[in-house]
Amino acid sequence: MHKSWMKRQSRLGYLFIGPNMIGVLLFFIIPAVYSFYLMFTDYKFMSPETHFVGLDNIRRMLNDDLFGVALRNTFVFLLAVPVSMGLAFIVAVALNKSVYWQKTLRALYFMPYITSGVAIAFVWMLLFQPTSGPINGFLRGIGIANPPGWLSTTEWSMYAIDIIWIWFMLGYNMIIYLAALQEIPEELVEAAKIDGARPWQTIRQVIWPLVSPTTFLLLITGLIMTIKNFGIIQAITQGGPGNSTTVLSLFIYQNAFRYYEMGYAAAISWALFAIIMVFTVMQWLGQKRWVHY
Amino acid sequence: MEKPIATNAKPTAPHVPKGKVRMESLTQIRKIILTILMSGFALLMIMPFIWMISTSFKSPADVFTYPIQWIPSSLNWEHHIKVWSGADTFATYYLNSLKISLISTIGAVFLSAFAAYGFARIQFKGRETLFLIYLSMMMVPPQVLFVPKFLMFEWVGIYNTHWALILPGMFTIFGVFMLRQFFLSVPSEISEAAFIDGAGHLRIFFRLILPLAKPALATLAIIDFSWHWNDYENALVFLIDKDLYTVPLGLQNFILENNVDYNGMMAAATAGIIPMIIVFLVGQHYIIQGVAGSAVKG
Repeated sequence: MHKSWMKRQSRLGYLFIGPNMIGVLLFFIIPAVYSFYLMFTDYKFMSPETHFVGLDNIRRMLNDDLFGVALRNTFVFLLAVPVSMGLAFIVAVALNKSVYWQKTLRALYFMPYITSGVAIAFVWMLLFQPTSGPINGFLRGIGIANPPGWLSTTEWSMYAIDIIWIWFMLGYNMIIYLAALQEIPEELVEAAKIDGARPWQTIRQVIWPLVSPTTFLLLITGLIMTIKNFGIIQAITQGGPGNSTTVLSLFIYQNAFRYYEMGYAAAISWALFAIIMVFTVMQWLGQKRWVHY
Repeated sequence: MEKPIATNAKPTAPHVPKGKVRMESLTQIRKIILTILMSGFALLMIMPFIWMISTSFKSPADVFTYPIQWIPSSLNWEHHIKVWSGADTFATYYLNSLKISLISTIGAVFLSAFAAYGFARIQFKGRETLFLIYLSMMMVPPQVLFVPKFLMFEWVGIYNTHWALILPGMFTIFGVFMLRQFFLSVPSEISEAAFIDGAGHLRIFFRLILPLAKPALATLAIIDFSWHWNDYENALVFLIDKDLYTVPLGLQNFILENNVDYNGMMAAATAGIIPMIIVFLVGQHYIIQGVAGSAVKG
């Protein structure tokens, strides 16, 4: 009787996950396997023949100067993550208790995160307008005679994107920090106060260590989220000027759908996967060791 | 977690020494200062939106006047009219986005709930392995999947149709994770009692668990809807015809065709953002809860 019960359970289990599994198979697993195969071919869209080329795509990637540029830009892009987290932590601590209008303020900070990336991309494009845009207008107003050219110059464009990304992610990071802060037992903070700790000391020596698991989690998930993103950059600069804002994820898109070099694009996309894998393993190990719960 | 303001400012009982009263008013002052500071910073955060809306009503000559003109000297509606009329109108983009987002979201919530119940509540062979495969799929970046999906959709004939966005949109691994988490937290005594009464899994799922999960389902629905509404990358890869464009693509198209009309650009951006702001204001609680819950517990 027990055996048949188990069998029935199994059938029911598959019945429940079946519909979803079909989709996951069709739109995740099969494409992933197929992409893995494409990595070893010279597949170009509309080209008559496809050959198996072994590791050629990977070799090509490692010798491609543009790949190096894209990788460097990606790292500059990733700098936005810790900066945004730092600001978010400060905001979260301030909003946690000692402020009026908590809910309204929280919503205002979170607003950028829910809006369309493309729409805000175009707003920032105008804000960063080099000759007469409001940001440079303000900078000139406070006495900076030659403000940066932002999105129009190769040396500043990636940092301009960083600023937009810091702004975009801040609300998300803040919400997660707030959730973590609310888990901290009131007594610990009270005890520090009674021991004569100043607010700054309490934050540094009590609150900050207690939210370290959250900091770690936000860092890793933020890096993963950022490294995958290319929509905002595609909308504002398409990777320019020059290739100064071509990040890895955008580079893949361009190779696949602008140059139709799909085999090559597949190879780079697996390089991206490898980087994400490293972050994921770090997160997994970090949960066990680095972070104290 | 959140104290009503009144409890913090409560007048002290008679036996409390004077020093304590001074402390209270000191924290009060600190609170006011902090509120002002944080409001200022919050204003800075939403400044781009305010500038966007105000610019959409300005005359072209006033776009870049400095100091910034926050309130336009006259209300020019013509830019908004331009966005909503003409051959490529935002009305079309809205309808397309609404169709895609709604169908995808309804499908995703339902299919995720089903699978999540299976993973959380039914013992079956290979469950752990399957769950691990699901887990690993979350690591695969969308870029890996774009080319094969493009070829697949071409082959099946749904490339450049709304199905190319709707069908994959109905499957969200994140949704399965989130709801599984929730179903695990429902005490098992509830279903055990129903089992004894002779109910099966299907009945328990529909009659007991789904009603209990309403807040979690709403959270997933709102988050999922906002993803679909804002999704630019998939639309960029899988749609070509202008009459199929979603709001983000329509916005990009408008700006490509009107790249010197700054007022028009901002009117278009406003049109692109307003729906999500409304959704956010209505479902704020769910969105924030869902975002916070998924990261901290997941």
